Amino acid sequence: MLHDAVVNLGPWSWWILGVVLLCAELAAPGVFLIWIGAAAIVIGVLSLALWDAAFWTWHVQLLLFAVLSGAFALAGRRFYSNRNQATDEPNLNRRGESLVGRTATLHEPIAEGRGRIRLDDTWWSVMGPDLPAGTQVKVVAASGRDLTVEAA
Amino acid sequence: MNLGGLGGFDIVVIGVVLLIILVLFAGIKTVPQGYRYTVERFGRYTRTLEPGLNILTPFIERIGVRMNVMEQVLDIPTQEVITKDNASVSADAVAFYQVLNPAQAAYQISNLQNAIQNLTMTNIRSVMGSMDLDELLSNREVINERLLRVVDEAVGPWGIKVTRVEIKDIQPPADLVESMGRQMKAEREKRAQILEAEGSRSAQILRAEGAKQAAVLEAEGKREAAYREAEARERLAEAEAKATQSVSQAIAAGDVQAINYFVAQKYIEALAAIGKAPNSKIVLMPLEASSVIGSLGGIGAIAKEVFGDGSGPAAPPRPSAGPRPQPGPRTTPVLNPFNPNSSET
Repeated sequence: MLHDAVVNLGPWSWWILGVVLLCAELAAPGVFLIWIGAAAIVIGVLSLALWDAAFWTWHVQLLLFAVLSGAFALAGRRFYSNRNQATDEPNLNRRGESLVGRTATLHEPIAEGRGRIRLDDTWWSVMGPDLPAGTQVKVVAASGRDLTVEAA
Repeated sequence: MNLGGLGGFDIVVIGVVLLIILVLFAGIKTVPQGYRYTVERFGRYTRTLEPGLNILTPFIERIGVRMNVMEQVLDIPTQEVITKDNASVSADAVAFYQVLNPAQAAYQISNLQNAIQNLTMTNIRSVMGSMDLDELLSNREVINERLLRVVDEAVGPWGIKVTRVEIKDIQPPADLVESMGRQMKAEREKRAQILEAEGSRSAQILRAEGAKQAAVLEAEGKREAAYREAEARERLAEAEAKATQSVSQAIAAGDVQAINYFVAQKYIEALAAIGKAPNSKIVLMPLEASSVIGSLGGIGAIAKEVFGDGSGPAAPPRPSAGPRPQPGPRTTPVLNPFNPNSSET
């Protein structure tokens, strides 16, 4: 039955598949269906030209479709990962990192590498060289909960 | 068997294509902002996926935990707390936390929210249990800060930061609230009564001071008046003495008839005054006619002497030279005994 439908529609069955996949991608964005949808459209374009060629069997079409899907996904990832750097909020959801460069007063002295500062109305445990309480310190690095400070 | 006219090769081709599609499905992962996905290789944590498009190695890597790294609110349910002075209050709170290290939060602790909730509850109990009820109600800032310190330190190994713990409501038992209200009311009433008493006290003091000052001033006035009166009497006496002296001098120097003149004048004046009295139609003359006559006799003697009869009885010789037409009163110094100043001539 499916076979009959594909035979009857000819090269347009690939186009139909591609458009349906792209629509599904729009409805539920996952940045995945777009690649196989694009691959289906490309196969459709090729099929319009090569449908009657002897080597253009459905096996070739299917395999080419799978390979193209993978290739598009990899290319897209490269494309996207380059684009990813261009955010205007690089420290979003990176609370510690967003504090780098801020200065604060040391509330408890840094002894044995650990002290406390108050920043943005909460307490932060900081690491750094031994300093007395009341010193102005500057956050120079952050990783998760750990802030590294030095005397400002 | 015939699978819809497909040969073995056909089935392999379909299988391969399906496999490729499924591998792509499993390998391509989009992480939304606000989340981090941990990656496990054969069940072991290897790395954390950042937001954006990510590709996993098919078959050997898979997504472990989808961790929310946005700051989250956690309601701490109401619980009974016994304070240091044995009052039983119910308190609830709210805690804010954020995952700062997704891997630790994913694997160091299971059931993160439950853990934070229980940790906060027990710490509320211990912090509030170490305080008196009065302290508890007035020092929320202190409680919040102590709670935050303790809880934040405890969740450190889990890669979480508790940014805030706030006591929402502290509810003492109803009877305690009522007696607290009564206490406050009594205190205000006490203050009002003290203020009232102080007011009336100072009013009375002021009034008494006023009365005292008035009395003092009055007495001073009286004293001054008495002084002046005494002085006046002294002056009067002095004047009288002087007048008497002047009269006696005049008599000594002149005629004894001067006395008679005075007496007669006064007598007549007094008679005139009685006669002029407006409210009496009947004039009583409590006078001996003889004395009136006598005084008239005195007048006559004066007249005789003045008008140069020379034979006046009991009239001492006068050193005046010869008869003069002037009437006696002119030559005799007229003395008003009550006005000593007029005697100066």
